[in-house]
Amino acid sequence: MALVWETPRYAFEMIEALGKTGMLTTEGTLYPLLSRLRRDGLVKTEWRESSDGPPRRYYELTAEGRRALAAFKNEWTSFRAAVDGILQEAKRS
Amino acid sequence: MSAPHADQLIEGYLARLNDLATDLPKSARRELIDDMRSHIAEARARESAETDATILNILDRLGEPGIVIADARERLGLKAPRPYRAGLLDVATVILVPFFWPVGVILLWMSPAWHWRDKLVGTLVPPGGYMGLSVIFLAASTQGGSCSTVRDQAGHLLSSSCTGPAELPGILDVPLAILVFGSPLISAAYLALRLRWGRPVQVAVA
Repeated sequence: MALVWETPRYAFEMIEALGKTGMLTTEGTLYPLLSRLRRDGLVKTEWRESSDGPPRRYYELTAEGRRALAAFKNEWTSFRAAVDGILQEAKRS
Repeated sequence: MSAPHADQLIEGYLARLNDLATDLPKSARRELIDDMRSHIAEARARESAETDATILNILDRLGEPGIVIADARERLGLKAPRPYRAGLLDVATVILVPFFWPVGVILLWMSPAWHWRDKLVGTLVPPGGYMGLSVIFLAASTQGGSCSTVRDQAGHLLSSSCTGPAELPGILDVPLAILVFGSPLISAAYLALRLRWGRPVQVAVA
């Protein structure tokens, strides 16, 4: 979801971005996820013409999607801080 | 340049996806297949030289159809279809349909173990099982059979005739009796054979 925070993207772009991080091993599973986010109203989609091929479906966060992502960021930050704390503790002892 | 077997490979992959996704709602299945198709088109457009190997790599990265469909099922909150195991209730149904028809038929129509065509056969061959047969025979024996006699003025019997259920020639009697009285059992045996032993049952779609 963070991938479409700034600007709407189409699925293949997201897969390329995720591929660089090595986080996505089975690319096909992104599509059921996107479809679920759309059904839950967290993203909305729009078809746009592309200059070099058939139209593409672009995904964009909804207001609700932005709220959900902000909430997740907060949770993640505190979770990461907690894990970092434990790891440093372990290093010292 | 196009790979020599590109279409075959891609259509084969999409067909496997489609076959595995039969329990998904139709709209979700169509959307997934469409997404996959445009994904493959995007990926192909990015390849400078295309061979069968590049197509295979694209499909590999998309993932095994089984994994993708399992994931889609999870996102939709669906359970994987499990093979149906016949239980005691199904055995009871097979026994009750011929011998205690009303209960047997209710169980039969409630069970997911049979196709509706089998259920129809179980219900109507013969209607009512042994109970139905005895009702039919009882009705036939009370209605049929009336005698009329004709006498002359002096009271001498001229003729007497009886009408009733026509007596069948003895040679046909035995096979017919076997057929009529055996039909509930034959129908029960048919149901037993048609039980979906280990066959997947369509899961109710949310």
